[in-house]
Amino acid sequence: MTVKRQYTLPYCQLILEGLTASGNDSHSPLTVLMNVECYLPGTTQGSLSGGREFLDSLVAAVSRYGQQLLSGVTVPAKAAPTEPPWVDLKSGPDSCHHLLVRSQPLDHSPLVSPEDLIPVDIPLSTVQFHDLMEAVDQLLADTQTLPDLTAQFQALPRRLVKPSIAFSQQALPATLGAVALAAAGLAFFFIPPPQIKPAKSSQRQSPALVSTASGQPPALAAASSPAITAPEQLALLQRDLTQRLQSNWKPHPAPSQNLVYRLSVAADGDIVAYKYTTHQALQEVDRTPLPQLSFDPVATANPSQEPTAQFRATFTPTAAVRVEPWSAAGTLTPVAKAELPEITSPLKAGDRIRQLNAGLYDQLLARAKPLSTSEPLTYRVRLNQTGIIVAYQPVTATAGLLARETPLPALAAAPDQASSDPQADFKVVFTATGVPQVNPWDGWP
Amino acid sequence: MPVDSPPGFQSPLILEALPTPALPGDQCPRRAKTQLDLLLLAIEALDLTSSEVMLEIARELGLESVIKGRVNLWLLRSTNPMRRYSQRRPMQIEEAKALVILTAHQCRRLTVLMRQLLMGYHQLQEQQLSPHHHLRLADYLNRFRSHFRSRMNPQRAGVIVYNTDEKLDQLAIALLEQMLLCSGVLGPQRLWSSLFDGEVL
Repeated sequence: MTVKRQYTLPYCQLILEGLTASGNDSHSPLTVLMNVECYLPGTTQGSLSGGREFLDSLVAAVSRYGQQLLSGVTVPAKAAPTEPPWVDLKSGPDSCHHLLVRSQPLDHSPLVSPEDLIPVDIPLSTVQFHDLMEAVDQLLADTQTLPDLTAQFQALPRRLVKPSIAFSQQALPATLGAVALAAAGLAFFFIPPPQIKPAKSSQRQSPALVSTASGQPPALAAASSPAITAPEQLALLQRDLTQRLQSNWKPHPAPSQNLVYRLSVAADGDIVAYKYTTHQALQEVDRTPLPQLSFDPVATANPSQEPTAQFRATFTPTAAVRVEPWSAAGTLTPVAKAELPEITSPLKAGDRIRQLNAGLYDQLLARAKPLSTSEPLTYRVRLNQTGIIVAYQPVTATAGLLARETPLPALAAAPDQASSDPQADFKVVFTATGVPQVNPWDGWP
Repeated sequence: MPVDSPPGFQSPLILEALPTPALPGDQCPRRAKTQLDLLLLAIEALDLTSSEVMLEIARELGLESVIKGRVNLWLLRSTNPMRRYSQRRPMQIEEAKALVILTAHQCRRLTVLMRQLLMGYHQLQEQQLSPHHHLRLADYLNRFRSHFRSRMNPQRAGVIVYNTDEKLDQLAIALLEQMLLCSGVLGPQRLWSSLFDGEVL
């Protein structure tokens, strides 16, 4: 039998007409739908009607649009829909919801396909849409009407949802990074690679290189490092160097000839470098104490600029060590001869010795001037019997170097006197102020 | 017959109406947590007693095993990452289901009020007037703004978006419409499936 089901809400009335499953029982479910009418009071279009297709499309559109309103996730339009739906819902620029309906004309003309029909646009407010959705929901929940029509809620799968950020925007940072990398690569391509310069060899030559007998004389730090010029310091260094070399040398296989080396000595007495002068000296360098005594500069990367003094060291076959300044500048060589010969005819008269002593003292005192050193300078001065200085000899090394500061060179006469004349030796000590002290060399008579 | 072990946890029957979605993990997605908390915030702005009513509804519906009390409810709502004191605990599917049921019940209770507000809003819009001309609507919007600003962390990017009154009003109206849509017969199901749009596999 024909039954009518009605779902009424303030802004929507949905009326379904159909046949029940069993003929006479009005309580049996409505299974065959004949007609649907939907009244929307308060809208531009009063009523809509259609068949099962219209109802299915209405239910699908309302469900889809309702879910879209709730979640805010828009469903992407399916690519090229085969057939536009009878009912569609879209949101408009105004806050209205637009119900688009293509309905069959009421005159019973032949059926036309939906795309030939111009859709009717019905704007709905939210409350009106809610009533429409509520009517549909009540129909879906009603098991007595169309039991095959049930709610099918399905969340949108992830792959169907358009990402909130467009792909171009997502790809922009990566593209920028790649472009920047390429630009940097191009820029670095034009910059030449840095030239790696070999580290400069140290100013202080390692003594190990010397003993390898490579044939190349090692460079001495004579050119760049400043030289020590203070005479007293040179003298001290020379004396210290002589003592050290002599004490450390074990001349058991004595050298066959003089071994001469050039030494570079720092202000603290370290032998910072040495260099052979002859081929023999190179071959027998390991017999000398130089390899053990020389200071090995470790930090070769930081070439030292400390002042050095140059010395010539000679190892003689008689097991003696002589050290003298390398630069044979006349100022620094001792003026006097190395050794005074023995007096052949010594002066014996005590009175004459006292007179000569007093005369020498007066001579020296008259020309006394302050010395450049605080060390007393001691000389052995030889006078003939007339009181003329025929020779003098420095006793200490400093005295030899600083002889020019004393009046002795000016007073010394050329030794043309015959050595047979009676002569006497005196010990002259100059204090720092230049004041001499004179005593007979062999003691007061 | 002696029982050795206590009966295991049984989810309330009312939650069976909501199908478990095919999520990649067993936790609720971030948007669902935010959406549920915002809806509850809007309900609170609409009805000041709603938090007490919610606990009552939970008792009536037998959801006490999921919503254990006031503190538990607060912790659940604080899983919203926009919250000032956001909890880093996950929200389980069962808890989300219970919250959806409670929200839909509250919405149904407030349907008449929401219809009034939305119809008033629609009329004001047609006359191009601001929503503050409607006394009850302005009340709702003011309360929602103050609730939102006092509870959300202003440093979060999701909160910075709503930095003006107009944007917050828009959010409040949108939430009001959504609340109306879940107040129907199938409201819980619609809200539930909308929470996972774009999240299921």
